[in-house]
Amino acid sequence: MPDLDRRKFLKLALCLSSAFGISNLPESVQAALREIDAAAIPTLVYLHGQSCTGCSISLLQADDPNAVTMITEYSKLAFHTDLSATSGKQALSLIEEYFSGRAGKYFLAVEGAVPYDMPEACVIGNKTFADHLMAAAKTMEGAVAIGTCASYGGIPAAEGNPTGAVSIKEFYKRQGLKPLIINIPGCSVHPDWVWKTVIHLVRLGLPDLVNGQPKLFFERKIHNQCPRYHDFQQEIFAKNLGDKGCLFKLGCVGPDTYADCSTRWWNSRQDWCIGANAPCIGCASRLFASKKDFSFYRHRKG
Amino acid sequence: MKVQIGPITRLEGHLSINTTVENNIITNAQSVGEMFRGFEIILRGRDPLDAQQITQRICGVCPYAHAIASSYAQENAFGIKTPPNGRIMHNLIQGANHLYDYLLHFYQLSALDFIDVTAILKYSGSDHKLTALRDWVKAELASGRPFPAAPFLPRLSGKYLADTDLNIGALKHYMEALEIQKKANRASAIFGGKFPHSTAIFPGGCTQNPNIDHISSYRSLIFDVKEFIHQKYIPDILAVAQAFPEYWKIGRSQGGFLSYGLLPFGPEPDSARLFAPGVILNGQSEAVNFEAIKEDVKYSRYSSPSGLKVRDGALTPAPHKESAYSWIKAPRYNGHMVEVGAGARVLVDYTQGHNPTIKKLVNKYAKIAGIGVDGLNSVFGRHLCRAISAVVIADFLLAETERLDPKAPGMAIYELPESGEGFGATEASRGALLHYIRVKNYKIDRYECVVPTTWNCSPMDDKDQPGALESALIGTRVENPAEQIEANRIIHSFDPCLACAVH
Repeated sequence: MPDLDRRKFLKLALCLSSAFGISNLPESVQAALREIDAAAIPTLVYLHGQSCTGCSISLLQADDPNAVTMITEYSKLAFHTDLSATSGKQALSLIEEYFSGRAGKYFLAVEGAVPYDMPEACVIGNKTFADHLMAAAKTMEGAVAIGTCASYGGIPAAEGNPTGAVSIKEFYKRQGLKPLIINIPGCSVHPDWVWKTVIHLVRLGLPDLVNGQPKLFFERKIHNQCPRYHDFQQEIFAKNLGDKGCLFKLGCVGPDTYADCSTRWWNSRQDWCIGANAPCIGCASRLFASKKDFSFYRHRKG
Repeated sequence: MKVQIGPITRLEGHLSINTTVENNIITNAQSVGEMFRGFEIILRGRDPLDAQQITQRICGVCPYAHAIASSYAQENAFGIKTPPNGRIMHNLIQGANHLYDYLLHFYQLSALDFIDVTAILKYSGSDHKLTALRDWVKAELASGRPFPAAPFLPRLSGKYLADTDLNIGALKHYMEALEIQKKANRASAIFGGKFPHSTAIFPGGCTQNPNIDHISSYRSLIFDVKEFIHQKYIPDILAVAQAFPEYWKIGRSQGGFLSYGLLPFGPEPDSARLFAPGVILNGQSEAVNFEAIKEDVKYSRYSSPSGLKVRDGALTPAPHKESAYSWIKAPRYNGHMVEVGAGARVLVDYTQGHNPTIKKLVNKYAKIAGIGVDGLNSVFGRHLCRAISAVVIADFLLAETERLDPKAPGMAIYELPESGEGFGATEASRGALLHYIRVKNYKIDRYECVVPTTWNCSPMDDKDQPGALESALIGTRVENPAEQIEANRIIHSFDPCLACAVH
């Protein structure tokens, strides 16, 4: 299996490069790290649990590379319910080919939470979503949890929810399983956070993780890189919704949210929440929307 | 014979259809919503201003419609006076979302039912995007790997478009539409902060302070979208329809039509709208009365009482309920089954003679297609009504930007009272969307959503009347009962959103 050897070699080279930097590697290895290795292109089987499809829609908003490039050059999107031409039994048998191990290696991409206490609350074909996850666990190389629901449960798992929704990591944990899972939260996820993680897998192997999330995007807090940090320091606070200035006193949770929105921005770098004077509601946080008493906004009541 | 044709792909969420097929005719169809989260339960006890955020997460395809419906409901409940800029920004955000959604629906969700992807192999031109696509498909097919050219292959068996140039043109537009939909979403993000899930929409307006920088960018982006709508989207619909003219008759729903009206001209709750509200029963248009809506659950997986009015809504999940086959409830208007969506929206406006541009466009394209107004109740009728909506909305948005006043506020300043209740109704891209909020002791006491696909993909009601989609499937001829590409085309014409339908 020369391809496999090559991959192992590149992974080793990657370890070395992370220790010493890529420029210290021989030119031929540097070149290999730069080109797209066909054998390294991950196959993605993308399933929806208790989701709103917002993350899928967000993935279509990608630039540089765009979504078409991502699914033709950097990944093989074997199945995605919103894009696949196939449907019905034909689609189920395609998924089954991968989950049984007959169609080769793949990563499972999951958007949405798992209704742990009420498995019937999410069904794909004749199987519960939970059963699909169990089938995949035996054969997948790993899983990418796309968005806050898949990563941490999100709104389906919010306080008082009727289905006992959990993240995929928690679901597997309760089954005594510990597969490789990369959590990429965000409600919705930013397209770069997912696609550039895929590119990292292709070019350099597994990305560095911090708290199970790619370090590249989730190392720093929104507040610490916020263009309104100066307003915060000068105590120029917005008093009412629609005011400029630091939004902290209106409930902005940028100081407690790890994500790079404040430098990356959204929608082709057009804007972002705080750019529109809207307080960060911490949608990429582990506890996003989880408590009834922790409301998104601090506002005046009657 | 009984055939389950789910999971249906190229739509939002988890839909399956149980069909009975006899002599290649669908004689019965059950629409099965397969995913439940319980938003109305999750919302109880929360701060009211959480609602326009949480309800956006019902659906990431049309989140803004939920933010707007929730904002309207809260404005009504609390008597909030929205300034003109606030309402205009609501409109600019919501309207751009409709444009993106129509393009996504036609090219990404529906076109592969008709377009032959393999035609790209015959491409001999020099457009680099098309040669790249051709070479990719070729390499995939030669690779010997399982499922080459996924997600575009494999596909259901059936007759696809034969004209090579038309196929290749449509594939080019498939890729271009992905770029153009981003522009529509960038436009809404200018005022909404981001897409999906805007954080800047509130009851009483929008937190953005509009200035000439925002306005000029918004206009430029919408101009590009408008050009694509006129130059490519409409011609493509008509060209595909010309190759499959039978779909002007196939997929006819058997009930009435409901629209709440879309895009108000002014800030007041009762302002006239670009698309008129109304309900068509037995061919006659009437004013909408929210009290006439009741939700049945005989065939839905809930043990809470059936036939409740919206304000009395209840939700007790019963996943093992014997008689039930879906998580979707069955809303009915005075007991009538109705269809909602772009078709209903255009038909309601046309029947009232409300918007002269809509009337002109319907007459123009009905003539080109060789159909009567009646033909709008069909697979291509729904596609055409989306295109007509897109034309009217794009022009409205450009005019609306001229009405923004950069010196005036965009948000009402308010304090929320201890209690209140209100309805908020708008048109999501998929149709009539109603939110109801009741607040007690500063917290949400009850929240109810009656969502477009709840109407369209509803199961049978307590009187065993099928839902709109079910009724449109029954009687359809299918060449291959195991796969039913014809049923898929009908289903896609409704643009179902299952996360919305059940929520």
